[in-house]
Amino acid sequence: MPALHRNSNDLLQGTLAILILKALLLGPSHGYAVARWVEDTTADVLRIEEGSLYPALRRLEDRGWVTSDWGVSDNNRRARFYTITAAGRKHLRAEATVWLKYSQAVTRVLRAAPALA
Amino acid sequence: MSPRWLRYLRFVRPNARADVDEELAFHIEMRVQRNLALGMTAEQARADALDRFGDVARVRDQLVSHDTRKQTVSERKEYVSDFAQDLRFGWRSLRRAPAFAAAAVATLAIGIGANAAIFSAVEAIVLRPLPYAAPEQLVSLGRGSAGEFTALRDRLHSYSKLAAYVGQTHPIDDGEEAVRLEGAAITTNLLTTLGVKPLLGRDFTDGEGVLGNNTVLILSYGLWQRRFGGDPAAIGRRILLEGAPVTIVGVMPPDFQFPGRETQYWMPYAFNPANVGLTWAVGDKWFIGRLAPAMTPAAAQRELRAVWPSIRFLDPLWEPGPDYRTDATVTPLQDVVVGTARTLLWILFGCVLLVLVIGCVNVANLLLARATARERELSVRAALGGGRGRLLRQLVTESLLLSALGSALGVALAYGALRWFVALMPASVPRTHEIALNGTVLGFTALVGVVAGIAFGIIPALRATNVSRAATTSGRATAGLNHQRVAGLLVATEVALAVLLGVGSVLLVRSFTALRRVDPGFESAHVIAARVSPPGVGYSDPHRVTNLYVSLLDRLATLPGVQSAAAVNKLPMAQSVWGIAVRIEGQFEDNKHPLPDIAHFQEITPGYFETMGIHVLRGRPFSEADREDQAPVTIVSESVARHFWPGADAIGKRIGYAWDSPWLTVVGIVADVRQDSLRDTAVTSMYVPWQQRSRMSGNEMWLLARSTGDPGSLASAMRGLVRETDRAVPVSDVRTMETVVADSVQKARFTTLLVAAFALAALLLGAVGIYGVMSYLVAQRTREMGIRLALGATARDVTGLVVRRGAVLATIGAAAGIIASFAATRALASLLFGVSARDPITLALVPLLFLIVAVIASAAPAVRAARVNPVRALRAD
Repeated sequence: MPALHRNSNDLLQGTLAILILKALLLGPSHGYAVARWVEDTTADVLRIEEGSLYPALRRLEDRGWVTSDWGVSDNNRRARFYTITAAGRKHLRAEATVWLKYSQAVTRVLRAAPALA
Repeated sequence: MSPRWLRYLRFVRPNARADVDEELAFHIEMRVQRNLALGMTAEQARADALDRFGDVARVRDQLVSHDTRKQTVSERKEYVSDFAQDLRFGWRSLRRAPAFAAAAVATLAIGIGANAAIFSAVEAIVLRPLPYAAPEQLVSLGRGSAGEFTALRDRLHSYSKLAAYVGQTHPIDDGEEAVRLEGAAITTNLLTTLGVKPLLGRDFTDGEGVLGNNTVLILSYGLWQRRFGGDPAAIGRRILLEGAPVTIVGVMPPDFQFPGRETQYWMPYAFNPANVGLTWAVGDKWFIGRLAPAMTPAAAQRELRAVWPSIRFLDPLWEPGPDYRTDATVTPLQDVVVGTARTLLWILFGCVLLVLVIGCVNVANLLLARATARERELSVRAALGGGRGRLLRQLVTESLLLSALGSALGVALAYGALRWFVALMPASVPRTHEIALNGTVLGFTALVGVVAGIAFGIIPALRATNVSRAATTSGRATAGLNHQRVAGLLVATEVALAVLLGVGSVLLVRSFTALRRVDPGFESAHVIAARVSPPGVGYSDPHRVTNLYVSLLDRLATLPGVQSAAAVNKLPMAQSVWGIAVRIEGQFEDNKHPLPDIAHFQEITPGYFETMGIHVLRGRPFSEADREDQAPVTIVSESVARHFWPGADAIGKRIGYAWDSPWLTVVGIVADVRQDSLRDTAVTSMYVPWQQRSRMSGNEMWLLARSTGDPGSLASAMRGLVRETDRAVPVSDVRTMETVVADSVQKARFTTLLVAAFALAALLLGAVGIYGVMSYLVAQRTREMGIRLALGATARDVTGLVVRRGAVLATIGAAAGIIASFAATRALASLLFGVSARDPITLALVPLLFLIVAVIASAAPAVRAARVNPVRALRAD
């Protein structure tokens, strides 16, 4: 299976931030839920090292893009829930625009003649 | 492992470590459960979860340190913002009660200001190390002769350097004016021993410590500025010292004042072993040393006590007893420099601390009273969820705000008072030029402010928060008996401290008046003195000296208003009037063994007793006939006569100098004179006619004139007289004898004045405090008074009740004060004169005074209590 497997170093921190913020758009969730959402959404292609989620979440919190609070999970356990803030949404929108433009450009380059063998 | 106490933190603050562990554990647990649901074995499920997670330990550490840091920052922020809020709130509530705030701040400012001022002196004089290199190595070995110094220097091994110095005074003539200046003769290594260098020019060389080569001089900064306008060209100039030319080779930095404030120049001490008398018989040199590395003063002292007695055989003139110098001491140089100023300063410091404590007690009382007024406000705040700790912090912050304002104002006061305080200090106090409100003093003041703020704030705050808690539960503010007890305790404390200070000051005042009442043995009124110092070179011929004084006295006697004139070589109370060892015919004739000392020895002109008003009890005074070529005569004081010839007539008996010389016949007996100070207990004196003076005497004499009117008006005439006669002869210290006597008790006056001022402040503060507390207690008991009055008590009863309470509190305090005085006044003993430290009159009168003050201070609130309207009092909640 072609995958960007276990190479979290390749995953730029900015990318990780985008994945997390996007995951949180659905509503407040704990770190594990974020990991599962990324896993499901990318069909396990973008497999991130789950441990790296947490320092990333702290960084997002320090920048004011997410807030966190302790709550109770579906299975009735105490868990730390993260919520995206208005600033977080704004940042996500801006980052998403850049990403989309970038990937479109790369796609165009790859589709241009001569075709790949 | 973190310290044990840290574990308790989890109860009061979020625990970052536990939270991170919980968060990560949750994640892994969830993954394991999902894996199990997907059909993995438990082992696989766990392995996969950990695999997906990555390095758990690293992530955990990263998060923990991140969260801890963040938590600390936010706590600090919260604390600061709480503090700012408390401060704003405190400021507002103080502004709402300006009278209270002003009274509290003023009280604290006086207390803290006085502390700052006195502490700045304690710090500069007692605590601050001497301004020399490695001052802790510098020690004093005591005094001795030049011969002893060289002998010790060759034998002692505890020191890296040994030096000696002796204070001197010489006429100095720079061509414009001849003046007598205080200076010091120092061994050429003294400056390097201290580790100081001249600001300009050079230090002495070793070769300059030899007679003939010592014609060089180092000036003090002050003298250089005054006489040479700070001109660097002064180096290399020649001036006349004792009429002989010396070359200025250096100028010391402004802060170098050694050995004393008055020292204006330094010259090399010239060793001259050929002069046996000067080398061995003049034991006035101070020896100082720099201890060798790792040497302690105690070890050095052991060595000194072993070595010094062993050199006694070197003295060719006399053989001291076997216990000679076995009690020699090695003391830190600082102790010698500071001397008796230490006791004085610590006593003053103790006094200002007492004043501050009394001030704090007062402010605590004010706060207590205020807390009563604020009960409602506080209980509302408590009810609104302000925890006790938070409320306490608020109140303490308010106290700290008060003390901060008080400290700031106090420092301003101290700054203003310091110049005055330093100017008032007796001349004997060293290092006064170093006194300043420096960082150490400001730090100390800040510390005092904080401690004071907490000290006076904590009891009222604890009480207030207790009350407000009670109030929220019971609905009604009930100060209760405890509250009164605290206030009463504070008043009793205040009275006790004020009594202590009062006793101290009354003792000093009584001892000062006793001192001033002492009969010095001469009549100082109408007498003026002037010090005349003919230079040694111009006046090396004794006849020239004689002619000078004969001519001066002749002209002085003819000045209008002069009743009689005389001269004396050492003026009582202006300088030490040295004693002399004597032989007594038929009793002590052997000059190789210890001879009796007569405490004071003076050379006088015939008119001395008449001019000074000293009574001639028997025999005759000296006359012009007692000349050099006549039979040597002497006059002794009453106690000499009584001591050596008890029950016999001293007239006609004979006394001799310690060295081989003709006997002197006693021709008169005069009253005892206190020569060194009013406290002088050694009153044995011996006088010889000036014309028959020994060859060892110097040229210097004091001219004395008794005037019919104000002696001060003769001052300029006396100065003019000397200048006209010979401009090379400096005249100095032109002062009336009354000034001389007053200056001799300068230290006692200074101490008495300051302690009395502090005691007065304590008395006032104490009175204010008692008044405040009695008012407060009356306000507290308005209801009770109302009930009493309603039940038929008369106004008299109620007044009596209040006054009695005040009197009881004052009595308890006064009793405690007396007990404290018993213990504390012992420290005063060395300053007291003619009165015991446990003087019963003082110990009875001072507490009585405070009792009266207490009764008066409680009278006004008592009258108010009696005027309580029973109906209104009962209706008041």
